[in-house]
Amino acid sequence: MSRKEALSSFIQQIHGRPVVVKLNSGVDYRGVLACLDGYMNIALEQTEEYVNGQLKNKYGDAFIRGNNVLYISTSKRRM
Amino acid sequence: MSQPLPNPNTLLPLELVDKCIGSRIHIIMKNDKEMVGTLQGFDDFVNMLLDDVTEYESTPEGRKITKLDQILLNGNNIAMLVPGGEMPGDSYEGQ
Repeated sequence: MSRKEALSSFIQQIHGRPVVVKLNSGVDYRGVLACLDGYMNIALEQTEEYVNGQLKNKYGDAFIRGNNVLYISTSKRRM
Repeated sequence: MSQPLPNPNTLLPLELVDKCIGSRIHIIMKNDKEMVGTLQGFDDFVNMLLDDVTEYESTPEGRKITKLDQILLNGNNIAMLVPGGEMPGDSYEGQ
């Protein structure tokens, strides 16, 4: 179905791009997306943890279990 | 066994969402959050791909607004979808 293709092409496109991942708890993780699967499990590089908009921690690599993810956000690529 | 639909005019719920692709949609989440964005696609779990999103979060201090370019929204916390809906009272800027 065509409606699903938008999602799968998005998933393919965002590899290696900077993303913001928001968890249900409200915590934001900003980093470079290394890997993403169908469970929304995520591997991030150069991760920064923002709690209430304030930088709290930095991690080189981070794995986020998909059940905690509210959304994955990217800025639109401009050519 | 697949039973035939009672009426060919019947629209399945997800077909209604399918009709919204490309237009604005208002998403009400389970936990005091709402999203308004342009629907680009969704899957069987109703995970949604949205463009030009505004996230409204009602907090004790007021409404917190976040603008996002493009998001893949997890369907797990979605409660309701309102086609074509802009946020009611959009002129109100909480906080």
